[in-house]
Formats: sequence, structure tokens, C-alpha cells
Amino acid sequence: MQFQRFVLPFAVWLFCSASLAAQSPFAPKVLGPLSQRVVAYEIDAKYDPAQHTVDATEMLTYRNLTGKPLDRFPFHLYLNAFQPKSTWVREAHRDGGFRSSRVAEWDDNDFGSNEVTSLEVVGMGDLTKQMKFISPDDGNPDDKTVFEVRLPHPIASGQDVQFKITFRAKFPEVVARTGYKRRFLLAGQWFPKVGVWWHAAWNCHQFHAMTEFFADFGTYDVKITLPKDYVIGATGVQTSDSDNGNGTKTVAFHAEDVHDFAWTADPNFKVIESQFDGSVGPVKIRLLSYTSHKSSWQRYVDVLKGTMQRFDQWYGPYPYAQITVVDPPHGGEEAGGMEYPTFITAGTDWFAFKGNHETELVTEHEFGHQYWYGMVATNEFENGWLDEGINSYSEVKVLDSMYGRNASSVNLLGVQEGDGSVLRSYYLPVAETDSLSRPSYTDMSERSYAGVTYGKTATMLISLEAIVGERTLRNALHTYFMKYRFTHPTQEDFLRTVNEVAGRDLKWYWDQAVYGTQVFDYVVLRADSTPTNWYEKDATEKPGETMYETQVILQRKGDFIFPVETEIKFDNGESTRERWDGRDRWVRYVYHKQAQVRSVELDPDHRITLDSNYLNNSYVTKPQREATKKIATYWMFLTQLLAHFLSWLV
Amino acid sequence: MTEETVANAKQGLVAAGASLVWRRRSILWWVFAVNAVLGAMGTLPAALQLNRALHHTLAGEQLVSGFDLGMFYELQRLPEVNLFRFTTSSYVFAFLFALFMLFVSGGIFEVYCQDRRLDTGDFFTASGAFLWRFVRLTLFSLVPFALIREAYFHVEKASDYLGDKVPADQVGFGIWLVGMIIIVLLALFVRLWFDIAKVRAVAEKERRMWPNMWMACVITVRQLRTLLWMYLCISLVAWISLLVAFLIWTKIPPTAIWATFVLLELVMLVQLGARLWQTASATVWYKRHAEMVSADSVHYTTPHPQEVIKAQPEPQPQLSLYPETELPPADA
Repeated sequence: MQFQRFVLPFAVWLFCSASLAAQSPFAPKVLGPLSQRVVAYEIDAKYDPAQHTVDATEMLTYRNLTGKPLDRFPFHLYLNAFQPKSTWVREAHRDGGFRSSRVAEWDDNDFGSNEVTSLEVVGMGDLTKQMKFISPDDGNPDDKTVFEVRLPHPIASGQDVQFKITFRAKFPEVVARTGYKRRFLLAGQWFPKVGVWWHAAWNCHQFHAMTEFFADFGTYDVKITLPKDYVIGATGVQTSDSDNGNGTKTVAFHAEDVHDFAWTADPNFKVIESQFDGSVGPVKIRLLSYTSHKSSWQRYVDVLKGTMQRFDQWYGPYPYAQITVVDPPHGGEEAGGMEYPTFITAGTDWFAFKGNHETELVTEHEFGHQYWYGMVATNEFENGWLDEGINSYSEVKVLDSMYGRNASSVNLLGVQEGDGSVLRSYYLPVAETDSLSRPSYTDMSERSYAGVTYGKTATMLISLEAIVGERTLRNALHTYFMKYRFTHPTQEDFLRTVNEVAGRDLKWYWDQAVYGTQVFDYVVLRADSTPTNWYEKDATEKPGETMYETQVILQRKGDFIFPVETEIKFDNGESTRERWDGRDRWVRYVYHKQAQVRSVELDPDHRITLDSNYLNNSYVTKPQREATKKIATYWMFLTQLLAHFLSWLV
Repeated sequence: MTEETVANAKQGLVAAGASLVWRRRSILWWVFAVNAVLGAMGTLPAALQLNRALHHTLAGEQLVSGFDLGMFYELQRLPEVNLFRFTTSSYVFAFLFALFMLFVSGGIFEVYCQDRRLDTGDFFTASGAFLWRFVRLTLFSLVPFALIREAYFHVEKASDYLGDKVPADQVGFGIWLVGMIIIVLLALFVRLWFDIAKVRAVAEKERRMWPNMWMACVITVRQLRTLLWMYLCISLVAWISLLVAFLIWTKIPPTAIWATFVLLELVMLVQLGARLWQTASATVWYKRHAEMVSADSVHYTTPHPQEVIKAQPEPQPQLSLYPETELPPADA
């Protein structure tokens, strides 16, 4: 009786609480809603692994928070990009496709599609015939990645509208962040997704080869039916898993305050679970990988925890209950290195050397997108640098702190490279192509997009540390994150925040680094010492006694104006530092000392990574031959080896 | 001290080959010296350009105390340095070394066949004498080597294709590895075949290279196990030495440039030595084989001395010193 009266109800309450806690999409100390929830998607999908198709019904509830009546709604159908005449394929074929190396030749396996079989608006009837494909960016009549539907009457401000859409998604063999490989599937950008009302207009770009996505925050309830031997992972948290008794199962997921939903499935997945204890409670880490990648499992978990800890400390809390990491199978690399809310894809190899931090780098980078894209949801079509670029800067800071500044990318057999150096090498070849502020989807080429969006942003933010300091810039990013999380900020919002936190107007810098394409190149043009009594015929030079006039000339070769520091060292051990504002084309420093100049170095702390030529940043009076000898030694060996190989053939 | 000869059957083939290379080691020193000089000449333009770029800058320090890939990228990227345009020079001098080796092969085989020191004149006379024959053999060898190259591409394709069908990453690599082992064995076979052809050309003073090549092929195929194992053993020694050198290299401080230089040159010496070792072993084998064939042929064509029946002079009619002649009648 006592048991029935007290213990049983308590046990039931405990069970329900535990179940609810397990189903909450947030970390324990977080309560939603966190965003202005514009959309609510309920999707019931059935996956056919043999055909690589998904048949689904989607119920989208859209809340009109625009402040004006709406009668026109654009939707993305991203999978239609994988068709020969689409804008995506056209651009990828012409300029090089971001991630896609196969666009040079069309293969039937590249085909993908989103086919809407019916579209009904609750209370307005079937509007399938009202659907019309539009191409707002390039007018390509064959592009079917955006359609628009006009309602019979507008939706008033503050009102909801419900779209009931039946569609079929056909996935390509894995390409550009989505598709199948053998039995593996990454379902990204797979459902009809409404555009974003932004700056008093619909923002719904076609799918372009060089840009990513943009969507509104909301909730997702997605049920996926698939063969029961499949292991599945998705955005949000799993809420149920039921066996249908016919060889299939239906798995349900729930996510809140996110702006996309992706999922993956493969019967060969192994599930590795861990936990990160963040400032708002524990976060479950769920890694989906393969036995053949076992050597990388711990690496994934370690770098993820290290990254989450630093982001938590530096920028703000990760509020979700779970992060799912997908390690794509071999051959499915184009599914790797992609971010979706609470769900990322990374990548490794079965022979991944520990000194090569590629596995760590991609995992860190994609997790970073949970902040710069996932929560601070900028428009990736137009301002790629706000997510990819800021995230690349964060990546440098995190990896540098974990593996060292000069070895954060590679540290193998004495060969080292820092992540900042890698990103700089992306930027330098395209320094004079696109500005950061140019709409990303209009960038010149894949190389230019990657070099500017990722490389230049990271490089210019690292260089900015020389002006405002590393700590200030970190505080600025923290402020930016806390202020704009769960919103869609613009580049001006970011620049203004940095100005405010730094307490100075950095317009002069943004004009050159963000809005301009000026090239940064400072050079030590001349450094020499002459005895002041040079005119005396019998004068002899005595170390420590003879007075010398030392002349140092610095020149600004590029158009980028930036204050630089220079260190001048003398042969008596003295050194001095000069600061030049760089406004003039050159500057001369003159010293009178009983010592000769030994070396002159611009940016002696090596902070200005924007400089396009490091070789001319210093001058040493004593010849330096060691580096030449070293490279020549290896060069000679390789030449000899090649000669030996050729002689073996004869 | 016993007399060592190329056909000293008491020694194993590999050991006999090594012994021959050591006895005639001046060849090794010369080949190594030429390889090093041509390597240095191939490196010179790049080294001069590097010196111009790094002579008065502190940037090179990052390449000395470790090896900063970013700085190396900087070097090769800048138009005023553009390091990789100097690879042409390396290719040219590597090709020149190959031509040199083609030229002196005749002399080397002659020395190994005769197992005696030739003076410079005789050496180059032999080199010249066999040059055209060896050029022809090299041209013939391009066909099987081209086929092997084609096979390599097929191995790559097959490993990609078959590896792509299964979820385990290692399968593709495994297929590739097996394919590569076969490719290496095939390449060794072809090298062996044409080395035997060269030995025959020198040992038999053979002038007709087309039949010589086929005869060498028949010999190589018939003695494949012995010969291939011999070449494989020597190659394994070369590869293991490369691995050991690599392990030593990982222990050398990045600033120890001279130590690195010495190690790398030692690696080259061993690699070139291994190639000469293969040549010498093939020569030793052929000489032994030739002696055996020669001995066998005597056995089958000449009766055993003990079985020889001493020839008895056949009875001959007794003839007068002057043949009898019928005298003509006296009254004739």
C-alpha cells in the first residue's frame, strides 16, 4: 500500500522526468526558446536504400513575423542542383566546384532531385499548380533549385500559415555535402525549405557552386523510416525508435532553435559515445564511425572536447544536449567536413598519421560552425566570410593552443606548419581577386572563394591582433556571439562589435581588409653602417670605438597601409624598436653608434600574417647560408635518386 | 689465400656478386662520384637562386631549426624565387647520368666478366664497343617497361574500383599493395632479363641483339627462381638500408646539415652499390651457368676417356715403297 501510494508514483515521475530530460534538445541548464522561431517543420520520411530516395510529407508552419502581409513564399529545392543544366553544375564546371572534383564529366550517379508532388496550404487548398521555378540570381531557366508559390490571399503579420508538402528526394552519389556511398547516406539539404525574410525582402538564392546556405530558426520533428539494420544519426536528439515489424524501423528526432536538419545512416556505423561537461551542463558526444577508422576514434573525441572547452571559455556556452559527429566512409569524402546544427561531418583515414592534424582540424572546424553558422546564423550565400572566415580564425586559435603555433597543422618528422600559415597560403595567390564584402556566390572562382573566405578572413583577423591585441579580439568575438546568437547578423554588425569592444574606430582597417583588395607588402630596403670619419684617409675601423652612421630604410611596396614595428639590432648587442605608421611610401631611420647594424626586422613578433612576402621583411648584414645548404642537400639527394632510378631503367 | 674468380662455385651467388663489386670497387667509387657531381650540377641553379633569396634575410631560420612548410611554400611561390622552375636542371642532369651509365655499362660488364682491372683506355674501349648493342637492348626494354607502366595504371584503377565496393578502407590499399608487389617483381624480371642479355653480349661477344635478347629471355625464364631471388635479395638489402637510413635521419637534429648530407650520400652509395651488385651477381651467375652448360655439352658429345677404345691401326696391305709396275716387255 505504501509502495503503491508513494513509491510507485515517485518512480513513474522519475521515469517520466528522465525520459523528458533525455528528449530535451538542450543541455540541462538551458531552457528554450532561444530564438525567434519562425518555422516549425514536421517531416515524415521513408528511405529506400536501393533507390537512394526519400519519400516524405512535410508540414511546415511558418509564422509571419515580418510585420507585413505575405502572399508569396519561395522555397529551396537544393537537390535539384545536381542536374546537368543547373546553375550549380554550370558554375562548378566553369569555375571549379567547391568540394566537387567530378563536375568535369557528367555521370548519371551525380543526378539528384527534389520533386514536389503536391503542395497544399491549409485552409487554401491544393496549390501545386501555383508552384513556379524562379532564378533570382542568374535567370537560368533550367535551374530548379528555387520555386515560389503565390497564395490566394496574404498571410497577415503575426499569423501562421501551414504548408503540407509531399516530395521525393533522390540523392546523388555523394557530392558537395550530400548523397550516398555504398550503404552510407548523408541526407543534407534534402527537403523543401522556405527562404528567409531578411531586410524587408525574401532572401532565397539559387544553389551556387561556391556558397552554402541560409535559413530561419525553428523547430524540427522528423520521423525517418528505414531498414532496421541501419544505424542512424541526425540533428537534435532521438526521441523514439520503433520496430515496424516489416524489416523497417521508424526513428524520431526533435530539435529546437536550429535552422536546418540533416541525418545520416549506414548499417556499418559503429557508435562511440562520450560526454563534454560544459558550463551549462553535460553535452553528449555521439560519434558515428567505422571499425576501419578505429585508430581515429579517440582523436575525434579528444579534439572535440578540447574545442568545446575552449569555445565554452572564450565565446560562450554550447546550449544543446548533443553533438553528433559523422565520420564518412572512404570514397565518401565529399560528405566530410560539413556542418549542420548539432550535427557535423568530419573525415579521417585508416592510416592517418598522428603528426598530421587534418582529422583534428576538420573536426575542430566543423564544431566551430555550431557557433559561427549554427547559432550566429549569418547569410552564407552573401557573407561567407562571417561563418567560414571567422570560424577559420577560431580554428587557428584553438589548434594553436592545443598543438603549438608552428605545428598546429602538421608536425611530422621535423616538418612543421601552423594552421595560420596554411590559411595564409590559401589567401596570398588570390589577394587581388575578390574582397570579403563581395557577395560570396559571385566570387571569381572556387580558388578565390576559398582563399578569400577562409584564408583572408583568418589572416586579416590574426593581423588585427597586432593592433587591438589577441585578448581584445577574443572579447569582441565573445560579445558578438552573445549578442547575435540565434539571429542573422550582417557584416556591419560584426565590424561594429569589434570597433565597440576595441574602443576605437577601425574603419581604416576594414576599408582595406574587408571592403578592399589592397595588398600588404612592407620591405626592409636598406640597412648599412658607415664610419662617420669615412673621409679620413688613414682612419682604421676599431670595433667598439669607431663611430658609425647607420641608415635603415623601410618601404611600403603594397597599397595596404598599416602601422608596423621594426627591430634594429647592432653588433654590440644593443637593439631598438621603431614604429612606423606606414602612411608614406618609405621611411628612413638614422643612428649614430659605436656599433654597426647587424639585422633589421619588420614585424619582429611575426603577427602581421597579411604581409605577402616574408622574405623581404628582414635584412641581415652577415650572410645566411644554412637554409640554402639544407634545401640544397635534399635537392641534390632527390636529383641523385632520380638519376639512379633512370639509370636503373637502362 | 685462395684465388677468387667470378665462377668460384664455393660462394653463393649473392655473396660472390658482392665480393666482385668489392674487388672491383673502383667502379663503384667512379659511379658514385659521377652521380654526386651530376646531382650537384643539377642542384646548382636552385641553390644559387636560394642563396640569392635567403642570403640576407632572417626568414630562412625557420627552415634551419626544423622545416617550416609555410616558409618553403613562400620560397617557391614568390616569382623572384619560384624554386620549382629549377627542377628542369635536375631532370637534365639525372638524364645525363642515365646516359653515362648506359655508356659505361659495356666497360663495367667487361670488368666483371674478366674479373680483372682494365686500364682506362681498355675500359672505355669496351664501353664504346658495346654501346650500340646496349642502346638497342635499352630500346627493346622500353616495350616491357611500358607494359609494366600500363599494368601499374591498371592496378591503380582496380584498387580504386574494387576498394570502392567495400566499406573497409584497407581493402583498396591491400589490392594496391599486392598489385605493386607484382609490379615490382615484374620490373625486376625485366631488369634481370636485359642484364642477362648484356652479360651474354659481353661474355659471348654477341653482336646480334635481337636473338640475344630472346636467348636471354629463355635463360631467365628457365632459371627464374634462382635469378629473381638473387635480385630480390639484393633489392631487399637496398630497401632495408633505406629504411635504416630513414630511422637514423629522424634522430639527426634539424640543424645538423653536414650529418644529413653525409647520411644521404651514404644512402646513394648503397643504392648505387646495390645496382652494381645486381650486375655483378648476374655476371657471376652467367659465368657459372656457361661453364656448367659447357661441361654438360662435353659430357654428352665426347665419350668418357676411360671408355675410349684405343684405335687400332687397321691392317694395311704391304706396299713396296714403289708400287710395282709391270715392266714392259723387253722387246716392246
